[in-house]
Amino acid sequence: MDIFVRLVAGASFLAETAEAEGGGFGLNFNILETNLINLGIAIAIVVYFGRSFLTKILGERRAAIEAAIQEAETRKKAAAASLAEQQQKLAQAQTEAAAIQSSAHAAADKMKAEILDKGEQDVRRMRESAAQDLDSEQERVINELRQRIAALALQKAEGDLPGRLDNGVQQRLVDRSIALLGEG
Amino acid sequence: MLNFLDVPTSLSLASLEVGHHLYWQIGNLKIHGQVFIVSWIVIGILVTASLLATQNAQRVPKGIQNLMEYALEFVRNLTRDQIGEKEYRPWVPFVGTLFLFIFVSNWSGALVPWKLIRLPEGELAAPTNDINTTVALALLVSLAYFYAGFSKKGLGYFAKYVQPTPILLPIAILEDFTKPLSLSFRLFGNILADELVVAVLVLLVPLFVPLPVMLLGLFTSAIQALVFATLAAAYIHEALEGHGDEHHE
Repeated sequence: MDIFVRLVAGASFLAETAEAEGGGFGLNFNILETNLINLGIAIAIVVYFGRSFLTKILGERRAAIEAAIQEAETRKKAAAASLAEQQQKLAQAQTEAAAIQSSAHAAADKMKAEILDKGEQDVRRMRESAAQDLDSEQERVINELRQRIAALALQKAEGDLPGRLDNGVQQRLVDRSIALLGEG
Repeated sequence: MLNFLDVPTSLSLASLEVGHHLYWQIGNLKIHGQVFIVSWIVIGILVTASLLATQNAQRVPKGIQNLMEYALEFVRNLTRDQIGEKEYRPWVPFVGTLFLFIFVSNWSGALVPWKLIRLPEGELAAPTNDINTTVALALLVSLAYFYAGFSKKGLGYFAKYVQPTPILLPIAILEDFTKPLSLSFRLFGNILADELVVAVLVLLVPLFVPLPVMLLGLFTSAIQALVFATLAAAYIHEALEGHGDEHHE
């Protein structure tokens, strides 16, 4: 207790002398009066605990930001990669489409030619068959006409025959027929 | 031990000054010079820190940039918690400035050995232990929440004074006076009381005994800065919303 009292007394004495020095700006290096020791300890405590606390918090924050940035970058990379891949696929698909289109064109041309060919053949065959039909019909008509004419001629001959046929004629006819038989 | 009896006389002469100021005369105004000096220093610290933090901005923040980003995040969260997701954005600078200025002022008062510098009159201390500073800050908050209310609702802002029932109109009007009053006196009283307690303890027992009180003072100072900023944001939110629950300490 005594030591404290002495300290206080000394401090107040120093303060008085400092005051006696008068006004104006200046520096006061009285350690006890300026509370330097306590402030130093307080600052040390604050710095000690504050530093560990701040470094921890700020380190965590920084790590979190870094992690977020890294994640974003990996995502960006992945997105770029998939974009490139899809673009490649697109190009491939486009070439494939072009190939399919050209082959389809070729097939269409071929088919067109075939169809034209076949059409021509059909036309030709139909023409031929039509011509055949025409010929056979003509023949048939001509035959029919012949038979008809023959029948008509026969009928007429049969109609004429009774008037022109008498015994003599009949005799001669039979004779000639016998002669013909004999010759045959 | 007889010596002990003489001590009180010398103790009573030890200087503990309250109400002594370094006056500067500007026109008709007498201003408290020590408050301005420390305020400028605090402002200088904040501006320097901001400039240093933004000068060489990296994508992955480190060092002071990380620290200041952390502070900004803290302030932004505080404002968002009070004002709400929708309208908090324009008020972050105001609330953040209040918080950072008060916080650095309080801690400078509690940590910087200002007494090393002797002034012609008065002594350097935290700017917030002068009632003029805290009243100025509290009036700024009043202006801010009136501005918020009027810019949001125009003259319809006055509807909130008679909102639940017109009987409460006097109380509603009174609140506009009590808000800055309580804000300024709370901050001023806490900081001044803390510094006085520390000063008295230092006078009585210069070594080690004031330490717990000083550390408690650091804690209180930080809490007061937080309280001031939070209440400012809460008042602005109240003005924006019109009605809603009261935030009182």
